[in-house]
Amino acid sequence: MTLGSPILRTVARFAVPFTVIASLRVFFQGHNLPGGGFIAGVLAAAAGATYLLAFGVQGAARVPWWRLAVLGLAISLSSGLVPWIAGTGLMNHVVWHAHLPLLGETHFPTATFFDLGVYLIVLGTLMTIFVELGLEER
Amino acid sequence: MADWGLPVAVALPFVAGLAAVATGRAAGRWTGIAMLAAAVASFAIVAAVGLGGTEPPVFARAWIPSLAIELRFRADGFGTFFALLVSGIGALVAVYAIAYLDELPAARLGRFFGALSAFMGAMLGIALADDLFLLFVFWEVTSLTSFLLIGFWYEEEKARKGALTALQVTSLGGLLMMVGFLILGAAAGTYRISALAGARDALAAAPLLPAAVLLVLAGAFTKSAQVPFHFWLPGAMVAPTPVSTYLHAATMVKAGVFLLGRLSPALEVSTLWSPLLIGFGLATFVLGALQSFVANDLKAILARTTLSTLGLVTLVYGLGAAAQDALQLLSHAAYKGSLFLVAGIVEHATGTRDLRRLGGLRRRLPITFAIAVVGAASMAGVPPFFGFLAKEAFYAAVLESPALGVLPGLSFLVIAAAIVANACLFAIALAFVRGIFLGAERHSDEPAHGAHAESHHGEAAALWMPPALLALLALAFGLLGAGGVTEAVTRRFSSAPDPSFHVSLLPTHLGPLVATLLTFALGAWLARDRDRWIARVAARPVRSAQSVFDAALASITAGATWYADRWQSGSLRWYFSAVLGFFVAIVILALERFDLSIRDVDSTFTNVTFYGAALAALLAVASVNVVRAPTRLAAAVSLTAVGFLVSLVYVVYRSPDILLTQILIETVSTIFVLLVLFFLPSFRADGLSPAATAWNGGVSLLAGGVMFILLALASSPSFRSTEKIAAEYLARALPEAGGRNAVNVIIVDFRALDTTGEITVLVVVALCVFGLLRSRRRPA
Repeated sequence: MTLGSPILRTVARFAVPFTVIASLRVFFQGHNLPGGGFIAGVLAAAAGATYLLAFGVQGAARVPWWRLAVLGLAISLSSGLVPWIAGTGLMNHVVWHAHLPLLGETHFPTATFFDLGVYLIVLGTLMTIFVELGLEER
Repeated sequence: MADWGLPVAVALPFVAGLAAVATGRAAGRWTGIAMLAAAVASFAIVAAVGLGGTEPPVFARAWIPSLAIELRFRADGFGTFFALLVSGIGALVAVYAIAYLDELPAARLGRFFGALSAFMGAMLGIALADDLFLLFVFWEVTSLTSFLLIGFWYEEEKARKGALTALQVTSLGGLLMMVGFLILGAAAGTYRISALAGARDALAAAPLLPAAVLLVLAGAFTKSAQVPFHFWLPGAMVAPTPVSTYLHAATMVKAGVFLLGRLSPALEVSTLWSPLLIGFGLATFVLGALQSFVANDLKAILARTTLSTLGLVTLVYGLGAAAQDALQLLSHAAYKGSLFLVAGIVEHATGTRDLRRLGGLRRRLPITFAIAVVGAASMAGVPPFFGFLAKEAFYAAVLESPALGVLPGLSFLVIAAAIVANACLFAIALAFVRGIFLGAERHSDEPAHGAHAESHHGEAAALWMPPALLALLALAFGLLGAGGVTEAVTRRFSSAPDPSFHVSLLPTHLGPLVATLLTFALGAWLARDRDRWIARVAARPVRSAQSVFDAALASITAGATWYADRWQSGSLRWYFSAVLGFFVAIVILALERFDLSIRDVDSTFTNVTFYGAALAALLAVASVNVVRAPTRLAAAVSLTAVGFLVSLVYVVYRSPDILLTQILIETVSTIFVLLVLFFLPSFRADGLSPAATAWNGGVSLLAGGVMFILLALASSPSFRSTEKIAAEYLARALPEAGGRNAVNVIIVDFRALDTTGEITVLVVVALCVFGLLRSRRRPA
């Protein structure tokens, strides 16, 4: 796949990192504000697609995207299975409360691990499709 | 009341089996020793735990409490008996197999003993399980391990076919049986086997009891190779001889009749139980005996006599004579086990199993000859051997059975059929000994299996000791019958111990004695002219059950092919029509069921705003544009316009979460469409026929219309329940899941199981795309 236009490349140089940061932001605010693993994953994949269109598919193809998806599935499944093994019920997520220095009273729902898996799966799956289609010979 | 001995006894063979598979390459024959050790240990543990005390020891743990399924082992008399039989004969077979298979490469030896040992563990599990589902799990494990064992010579097509048929038949029966267990458990209110008999009244009142009986019998009959499922057993004789001995004579095929014994106290309340057992049992008993009489392959002969005995035990249960089941099972295991092992020794010594090519081996194999005489005499039912006692008890049961009193003449018919069958067994026992050991010495010296040359051992001690022990058992229990020991032992181990049960070496009743004498006379007469009978049968070929089964399988495959071709036609129009048609049908059905129609829609449309209506108009225009676009690119852009207009709708109705999703999905799918656009053929090159256009339009309008009505209904007052659900989720999101965003909380917490399913699908899609495209690019 050939490189994109100079305009696209110039825009992408700024847009890609900002989109990735935005996707992390959307991911972490997901529990209380619009967002979450799915949307954040799609957003990250959009950044990946922009990169791929601007700088060619070879660079993006260096990342083993499908392994990322499998890793995400492993994270999601284990976050559901751990409470089951601990005896509190399958997929029964809890909220961790902690008093941390500097941060003060902090809440951390264990469902975040599950959401992280979703994020990685969505990103990995979409990027697998993009990269594999981009690698097709024209 | 935890008694760890029982689960340990069941687990030990599995441990030995796993170790054998893992270390086979290095350990070689030591894997056989490991199985032997596990068998001896399990035998000792079961004997120590099960034989002491009056109350059966129990080990119970919660397994799936929400379904009332327990991990529960219980060693009552019958279970202990079966477990001792399994582990005892397992030990003998292990000794025999170490000597028998000594030329195998070490790794295969490891796999062999691994599967055989795991099989033994599963059989112990069946014997000791006190929960229907625990039993079912072990039942399936025996099917699986026996598949591996029957197909052990997998280089041969016959072995693969025999293994596959056995697996297909027994797992079909196993699945049906599981449904039967579900019905049974629901009707009785418990899955605990020992509690089923106490729930007889509830079972008798259950309307589905006949279905449960039929389904459970399907499982038991397939496992125990009853007519019409009998054909897999002779086919399974391609297995190595130790396997045939262990699985197909002494233990696995007995699992079916063991289950009958387990459930008989509960299921005999069904009026179907006794007639079905009598009918199928008698048919198997007679057919097996007739077939064995005209067979020439040693293992085929023994397989068919085994069929016959399994039929006999089923018949015994049908007659209500469960008190003698342990007698019948033990007597059969002793003589049939020894005869199978004898057949293995003969095959190794001569290279053939064909009765017509053998003869005069009494000098070359004197010990084997003696063992065969004892085993055959017990099979023929000659006093003072064990088989005689079993036969007498069986005739007594037929003559005294209340179940046969319902029809005049029925009792006579059954006893006549039984005499003919037993006479055939008598005759084939005679032919077995005479054909192998008497007359002029004849034997072929070519190896029976070319691919895996089995060596010529002669009479190694490890080969003749196990059958000798079994033969000794057949003699000892016969002689002890005079002193009442046999009676006491088999009564103690019966599934339905009955103080009035009586069996003795000295005949006390005239009826059974007359029947036995008639059997001997008829059998001797049949044996005189066996060759003529064989010729007569050969002249009249009958369609075998195996060919019927094969034809049924072939027709299933053909049907599946037709079905797949019909639905997977490759036409996208057809796929879409099928998916949308199904969606339309299911929505219409659901609305009909709750009696909802377009009249229930809130027709005031109070929530329609100016911007909403304007967006709807724009959406309509864009949609029409998608359909009418002249190029793919134009269609893709129009479709993207539709998507972004929809996201504007979410702005108007203040739904930021979905808005964000919609925008991102639209962006990404536009990229996706642009990526694949290049690979697609030219747009509408062939042009659509008017009929196809009309069909597309009709399906689209129908699906769109139904969806519109569904959504309009969903936002109407008649759909109050959805609001309640929404309010509930909103109320519970923060306190229970610690999040204010209810949508995300639903996805990752409340409905996490659904999400798990969805993300799994996503990963599978990623793997498929990767695999398909990569493999296309790099052809192997």
